[in-house]
Amino acid sequence: MVSSQQLQLLAPLSGVLMALDNVPDPVFSSRMIGDGLCIDPTSQVLCAPLAGVISNLQHTGHAISITGANGVQVLLHIGLDTVNLAGKGFTPLVEEGQQVAAGQALIEFDADFVALNARSLLTLMLVVSGESFVPLVPGADLVESGQPLLALQLAETPALAEEQTGAAQLSASQTLPNPNGLHARPAAVFAQAAKGFAATIHLHKQGASANANAKSLVAIMALQTVHGDSVYLSAVGADAGQALKVLSELLASGCGEEVAIEVVEAQPMVMPEQVASDMLRGVCASPGSVFGPVVQLSENALQIDELATDSSLENQCLKQGLAEAATALQALCDNAPGNAQAEIFKAHQELLEDPGLLEQAFALIDQGKSAAFAWQSATQETATLFKGLGNRLLAERALDLQDVGQRVLKLMLGVQDRVLELPDNAILIAEQLTPSQTAALDTRKVAGFATVGGGATSHVAILARALGLPAICGVAPQVLALANGTQVLLDADAGLLHLQPDPERIKQLDRQREQQRQRQQQDLQQAALAACTRDGQRIEVSANIASLAEAEQAVTLGAEGVGLLRSEFLYLERNSAPSHDEQVATYSAIARTVGTEHNLVVRTLDVGGDKPLAYVPMDHELNPFLGMRGIRLCLERPQLLREQLRAILASAELTRLHIMLPMVTQLSELRMARQLLEEEALVLGVKTLPKLGIMIEVPAAALMADLFAPEVDFFSIGTNDLTQYTLAMDRDHPRLASQADSFHPAVLRLIASTVKAAHAHGKWVGVCGALASETLAVPVLLGLGVDELSVSVPLIPAIKARVRELDFAACQSLAQQVLELESAGQVRAALQPLQQPMTVLEY
Amino acid sequence: MMFDNVRKAFWKALTPDLVVDESGKHESVLQPAVLAALGGAGNVKSEQRVALTRIRVELADITRLDPQALRAAGVPGILSLPGGLVHLVVGL
Repeated sequence: MVSSQQLQLLAPLSGVLMALDNVPDPVFSSRMIGDGLCIDPTSQVLCAPLAGVISNLQHTGHAISITGANGVQVLLHIGLDTVNLAGKGFTPLVEEGQQVAAGQALIEFDADFVALNARSLLTLMLVVSGESFVPLVPGADLVESGQPLLALQLAETPALAEEQTGAAQLSASQTLPNPNGLHARPAAVFAQAAKGFAATIHLHKQGASANANAKSLVAIMALQTVHGDSVYLSAVGADAGQALKVLSELLASGCGEEVAIEVVEAQPMVMPEQVASDMLRGVCASPGSVFGPVVQLSENALQIDELATDSSLENQCLKQGLAEAATALQALCDNAPGNAQAEIFKAHQELLEDPGLLEQAFALIDQGKSAAFAWQSATQETATLFKGLGNRLLAERALDLQDVGQRVLKLMLGVQDRVLELPDNAILIAEQLTPSQTAALDTRKVAGFATVGGGATSHVAILARALGLPAICGVAPQVLALANGTQVLLDADAGLLHLQPDPERIKQLDRQREQQRQRQQQDLQQAALAACTRDGQRIEVSANIASLAEAEQAVTLGAEGVGLLRSEFLYLERNSAPSHDEQVATYSAIARTVGTEHNLVVRTLDVGGDKPLAYVPMDHELNPFLGMRGIRLCLERPQLLREQLRAILASAELTRLHIMLPMVTQLSELRMARQLLEEEALVLGVKTLPKLGIMIEVPAAALMADLFAPEVDFFSIGTNDLTQYTLAMDRDHPRLASQADSFHPAVLRLIASTVKAAHAHGKWVGVCGALASETLAVPVLLGLGVDELSVSVPLIPAIKARVRELDFAACQSLAQQVLELESAGQVRAALQPLQQPMTVLEY
Repeated sequence: MMFDNVRKAFWKALTPDLVVDESGKHESVLQPAVLAALGGAGNVKSEQRVALTRIRVELADITRLDPQALRAAGVPGILSLPGGLVHLVVGL
């Protein structure tokens, strides 16, 4: 054996050592990328473990590789899943290609920010080039930055894989589905697979001159690919064809990373020109039909010159634009009608100060671009990145970013924002609605929406459903070319926008709308009356609310109390926890509005991986709907729940106070929450405890309702979650959503047994899920013995009116009948004949 | 030993229904010795589990933190940050 040279690797950080086997990330613990070690850092500057050249610095600043003179290649990766931070919290101090000395500072990072926003800070040092090593300080658990850690055995230069010769075969070009491109994790999987072939294989990025050896992790990472990049493969050698086939499939599947299903664009039914002349197709986001004039909300494309001559002038221009935008946002903040709006504009102000964004924009100006072009590129690029991360909260931030981007652009270009005068029954057309646009809309004049972007869960869809207006999303961009004032028929149920609607159809719609209006008016006149069936059975109709404004509206529309106050509204879209006083003020104001005659049911914080809180960092969950949601999260962080209970208890005297726990599965959860409640009440000296109940939304709770019933004061059935958990169908799943139907007999049976168990113990049962707001469901729920329907505010008069048309005895026998049916479809069919023709229409 | 206690406290915080509650209190995942090394419960303004391996605490008075006592109490790594923030690196 030839005596081999040694090379010492220094500790890149101070911190606590962890064996690679224990790192909770299989890509690292399996040594797929390379062997090495892991440090849980107690310092915030990553230093070079060896002298060499920076062979790759990820643009997100969380990973770097160094190649030493002797070919040793070391990858340093700060934290787990930190690629999702998109560069935030990391400040690279070196550049790709730069020569660095051992111990030189490479990347500075904000450990607190990373700890609060990423999965972990565990930092990996991996020998990618494969040399073996021995630890220099065996058994140590604490290391100091710069301390020699590993001794590498430098082997004789290994025989290079034989370069294959011959004609190259090329794969078809494909789009990268990975949200962050081929970063360390998928790149490792890909390189590993490529090594299995004898062929020489290269990965090419379309439009870039560079290509990467597909068997080199670092080379692939150095391509700096991003989501949506177009790539192809070339291969030379005997097994080239097989390699291309396997690796192309691997790329398409995301290289072991979870990727969004490629949205297949709907094939046009007819030739595009014909579609344009007659109708445009979209996806129903909110049902209904309406006829009215088009109002284009889409911004006229701003005239932007790409290049400028004087970069210092452009620099000045951008700074001034930013300053003016900040002032305007401050004014919007100060004059905002509610806290939520003020928070949105405050967040916009923060975006204006984002160092990453500014750096990007000013760098483009230095390259000779105009201020407007630089700013637009920087904001759009970041927004695209946010959207591609597959995180709903970040995707919403992208919309905010575009919003802020437009604001600054218009200020720089001197474009005045016109106040939009809407005609009656306006059908709004937009590329995508931004928060600023929707905040400024006169919703009384809007009759419907059609947008190019968005889907059934987008901002515009949520807004449209909240307003009860028809809407379609995903319409072809030609819709943006329609002249303002064009009379169109929006048939959201069919997902169509008719550009030359049939006059007969319009007349029919007009008639229906008139009937609807009359019916609505009639319902409204009687809204204050109790909801009694014709044979005298009374049912309470209360409201689902999320704000004081909704509480007030509910009372005027005849709500008998509040059956569900979604307390998350106090917490969402915030960077810090609301203060005790702020919480007390909100709950008290709502409690006073509801009054001492009626129930106020406050649901405790219902957040989790699917609706995260900005200031309560949560570990990423593979399946948030089966993760730390609702009461599970609250009991994991009892301080949060205690604070909320204290704030709610301050309203004990103002109303008939009820507290409701979401996502309860175990009796112990109920008992623990009750103990917390009693402790807090004792501290505050509250003598009469509020009523304590649970949501029935997990099948386990419904099935064990007989054991829960003695220990609660009431149940409230959340039909949306109960349905998705019972049927094991995601209600937002593109193909299953229509089958995830609460009318499924399985769901109705769970409701029936819950009611039976509750009544056996003298407890009442409400339904606060979407099922209660459906007029079609009213007779079944009544017949099953439900005591309270908590419905969305605008529907209160209609649901009350529906109750008055029914006969309780008939509802009871009908309910027993539908419990025996086979499917949701059969249940709906059995109920349809009962529905009054006029109430079929949604309003 | 003390380290085991910290781990147990973690496990409890994660799965409240699986570990029998002995004290009836859910206030803190910090063991008495750790609390004492941090300057007592009164000195701890907030505590939070973060990033899989850390407890993030906010201290009213950072000078009352005793690093040696903290290590003796089973906390191997300490990262002091401005504003009285401290990360206790306690492992998985």
